[in-house]
Amino acid sequence: MPEILVQYEAEIWKAILETFVMVGVSIIAAVLVGLPVGTLLFLCRKGKLLENRLVFSILNLLVNTIRSFPFLLLVVFLIPFTRLLIGTAIGTAAATVPLSIIAIAHYSRLVEQSLLDVPKGVMEAAVSMGASVKEIMFKFLFVEARSGLVLGLTTSIISFISYSTIMGVVGGGGIGDFAIRYGYQQFKTDLMIYMIVIMVILVQLIQFTGTTVSRMIDKR
Amino acid sequence: MIKLHKVSKSFSQFQAIRSISLTINKGEIYGMIGASGAGKSTLLRLMNLLETPDEGEVEVNGQDLTKLNGKQLRQARQSIGMIFQQFNLVANKSVYDNVAVPLELAKVPKQERRNRVVECLQFVGLEALSDKYPAELSGGQKQRVAIARALANRPQVLLCDEPTSSLDPNTTAEILGVLENINKSLGVTIVIVSHEMDVIKSICTRVTVMADGEIYDTVSIEPEGIKQLSNQPNWFTEQLTKDGEKNHA
Repeated sequence: MPEILVQYEAEIWKAILETFVMVGVSIIAAVLVGLPVGTLLFLCRKGKLLENRLVFSILNLLVNTIRSFPFLLLVVFLIPFTRLLIGTAIGTAAATVPLSIIAIAHYSRLVEQSLLDVPKGVMEAAVSMGASVKEIMFKFLFVEARSGLVLGLTTSIISFISYSTIMGVVGGGGIGDFAIRYGYQQFKTDLMIYMIVIMVILVQLIQFTGTTVSRMIDKR
Repeated sequence: MIKLHKVSKSFSQFQAIRSISLTINKGEIYGMIGASGAGKSTLLRLMNLLETPDEGEVEVNGQDLTKLNGKQLRQARQSIGMIFQQFNLVANKSVYDNVAVPLELAKVPKQERRNRVVECLQFVGLEALSDKYPAELSGGQKQRVAIARALANRPQVLLCDEPTSSLDPNTTAEILGVLENINKSLGVTIVIVSHEMDVIKSICTRVTVMADGEIYDTVSIEPEGIKQLSNQPNWFTEQLTKDGEKNHA
């Protein structure tokens, strides 16, 4: 192993762990909140099962607004909210708040898109069989859209990694922050390049896993 | 079995169904035919309230569907089977799981569910394909899976929306055979919407002709029986060259 990596080994592991925490919490938020929000966006559309203009417009506006913020501004803008929620706006735990919020907005949009790809006839068959909205979601919609949902999550996770790299501004740490502080600001270009390589490998692994899983579960 | 009373339905400006009343008796194979846009599919979809009528009553199995609440309507729909032109199977579920869905919806216990799925697949002759996915099946096989799925909850009525319109003539004959068998051996009332005259003439006992959202006429006919076609190339040649039979196939 190159000497410089040995020298900074402890810090590098810490940075990797911080990235995993930030991205991990974002994934959990995306699945637990983004999936239902995206599903609601889909179901409340015109002509869909729970058609509701008000709910659709509110969610749609909210998702668009969050996504139109330059992410750095969103982080700063959310500082009071983060402080309210976590008690501090600084550190890895605090960094998970803006990350989770963008994660929810990001993934919910991709969920909505995947669900729109489910053939209308399948939904119709479900209704004709006497399925309730909940049954239609779990026995038809999610089953039919599952490969798209996995691919969407894969794309989202990679965006979360990218977003997490700027969390240094609120002391969130992570690989990106480490690369900037040690590699860029202290002119250790080799260290910066090693960090970039770690990120590239990470993204490749995630994309490969996502693509493989999505292909395995796609029987269409 | 099915009674429509002064049913109307519009889509924005377009009036698809204009105050139609009709009665379909138990055990009938009832046909509905007409040009595109005549309203025959809409009329069929009113029979399980896939389309909600603007006016009028829809009575199936002695229940006025328009008066039911959400839960009661879902329950009622479980005894009204429906099949579609595009089959509408869940592509990510195996043949077995597709047929099992309506039984799950009806909260049938697992063991009983298994037996019933096998029974339904046997009825349509597909028990050997239960682990396949719809993408691996031919059009006729997909439609037979859809029929098995529609039969799972032992419906009184089977609504068929252009059931053979995306199938070739041989497969059409095969599916019509299955439908006729369902009617004869299970006593299920069948309603078929089709634009194919041959389909309607082969198995229906009463037919409504529709035009511009209204009933033009209703006639009782003697079903001609399903034409047995051949797959052999010489049969095609024969059909092409035979005099006076040009409209036959």
